Amino acid sequence: MEKVKKIISQYPFLGFIIAYLILLTVPSIFFTDLYQSHLSSLIFINIIVAAGLNIVKGYCGQVTVGHVGLYAVGSYTAGCMFMYLGSDLWMTLPAAIIVTGLFGIAFGIPSFRLEGPYLALATLGGGEAIRLFIENGEFFNSTYGISSISQPVIFGVPFDTPDKYYYISLPVMIIAVYFSYSILKSSIGRAFMSVREDPISAAASGIDIKKYKILAFILSAMFAGAAGAVYAHLPPGYIHPNNYTVIEMVTFLAMVVFGGLGHIWGGIIGAIIITIVYDLTRPLYEYQLFIFGLTIVLTILFMPKGIGGFIDKIFIDKRFKKKKVEEGK
Amino acid sequence: MLLKTKNLMKAFGGLKAINKVDFELPAGEIRGIIGPNGSGKSTFFNLVSGVYDPDPGSYIEFDGHDITNEPPHKIGALGLSRTFQLLRLYQDMSVINNVMSGYHTRVKYKFFDAVIGRKKIWDQEKEIKDEMMELLSFVGLADYAELNASELSGGQRRLLVLARAIAMKPKLLMLDEPAAGLSPVNVDNLMKIIMQLKDKYGLTLIIIEHILKVVMDTCNTVTVLDHGQKIAEGTPSQVKDDNAVIEAYLGKKMNDEEMRKALAV
Repeated sequence: MEKVKKIISQYPFLGFIIAYLILLTVPSIFFTDLYQSHLSSLIFINIIVAAGLNIVKGYCGQVTVGHVGLYAVGSYTAGCMFMYLGSDLWMTLPAAIIVTGLFGIAFGIPSFRLEGPYLALATLGGGEAIRLFIENGEFFNSTYGISSISQPVIFGVPFDTPDKYYYISLPVMIIAVYFSYSILKSSIGRAFMSVREDPISAAASGIDIKKYKILAFILSAMFAGAAGAVYAHLPPGYIHPNNYTVIEMVTFLAMVVFGGLGHIWGGIIGAIIITIVYDLTRPLYEYQLFIFGLTIVLTILFMPKGIGGFIDKIFIDKRFKKKKVEEGK
Repeated sequence: MLLKTKNLMKAFGGLKAINKVDFELPAGEIRGIIGPNGSGKSTFFNLVSGVYDPDPGSYIEFDGHDITNEPPHKIGALGLSRTFQLLRLYQDMSVINNVMSGYHTRVKYKFFDAVIGRKKIWDQEKEIKDEMMELLSFVGLADYAELNASELSGGQRRLLVLARAIAMKPKLLMLDEPAAGLSPVNVDNLMKIIMQLKDKYGLTLIIIEHILKVVMDTCNTVTVLDHGQKIAEGTPSQVKDDNAVIEAYLGKKMNDEEMRKALAV
């Protein structure tokens, strides 16, 4: 076990490949209907968004409430490329990532001067502006939405049903999470954290605050863009401006907060739990928003670092106590 | 000269916090800066490290570079490290991450290597961690490496701030009241560690301190500031007997005539 741990710490991508292989086998063993595959794809998409949101909100400490706007940019880049150019996922995914990254710069610039609730207001405005722009734009099919966006075809096999699309969204998710892992575990992640904790002493340590703030916004925007593109192509391939409202944003925020702000697995844990809970509570539609709002408030009050931080704390305390006991002997 | 300021000025509204200070510091020296509260010591640090922009006409040079209007991170990257009076620890980060983020300017790998997560990243990260653990055990915090910085005691926080400032292997280390709030035993311990680190890394030091014993025992030269002006500079014993210094600290020496006048009112 120790040996395995050591090898994985040297080659972290091995761990991700193992996770990928395990998840590949899941549908054939556990899934009984198409809806479960569809839900898994949704979970993967939410994981990508939450992992990105965790970079900018959890690690870099920049309060952004407009992330859903970036998600919409990703989706509509893919949607419009399909509608006008007939492109498939292999073209739209990289394009969505790049375009959304550029929008990320626009979202990041206010963070040079604004902080906390003020930045939240600015980004909230930005996100809503994007949605309203799409809703009123002829170019984007306004409130009709874009429908029957194509699914990718590999070696002549179309991946046009939820159970097949699972194998498209899974690798994208694994790669995205791997990128977020390696970014956050390297010196970039530490620089993000120190910008969050204390910009002045971060600058004294030679960390360029503006550069890292904007970098956090760009990176997280790229994650949102990738997720948006995968969502656009998700069977039946239909996107509508109403999928990108502030309500969606609250759900994304709930994922990151509940999973653990600033915890490396925070967004992922949260995305899995919240997406499943969201789906199970669908009959209680009227109360959903209330419940998620309450979840955020209660989590911040009683478990400020979410589930991830809670688990971490237990382990660290245990190890620390064990060490103290050993020394005592 | 490692650090040189010429005609350094900073005014906050009408208050001249730093007024025409010329300062020269050769490499390898331990310099003390003393002065009453509000005399501009911390402002001097903030000007040199780039937290504040100096007023026009000022000139600051560090290690041959003109750093007068450079942003703080560039000054830090040149090898000027500092601590803060109010510590400014990264409260919500583990002790080891605090120190490792001080290492930032020395990280060698490129940005895209980190994004893709190449093997050399993890190798280097391990090296950095080992080196920083060594530094932590040197200051005596190795056992607490995984705890949050907010869980440390006051004395341990001062040590952690010191370790974080050292992590970038600076040429010049500026300590803003490193021993504030410590008990006499802890002060001695801290100064011992600082001196060992100085020898180990070949540092040049500037120390602001209110505990005069610390300054007099450790510093080669002492600069005295009062009302933003440099009023004396010299060896500790010279400064101790300087009239202007005594006046700034204790008040004006009066003759009998003046005393009588003052009491009559």
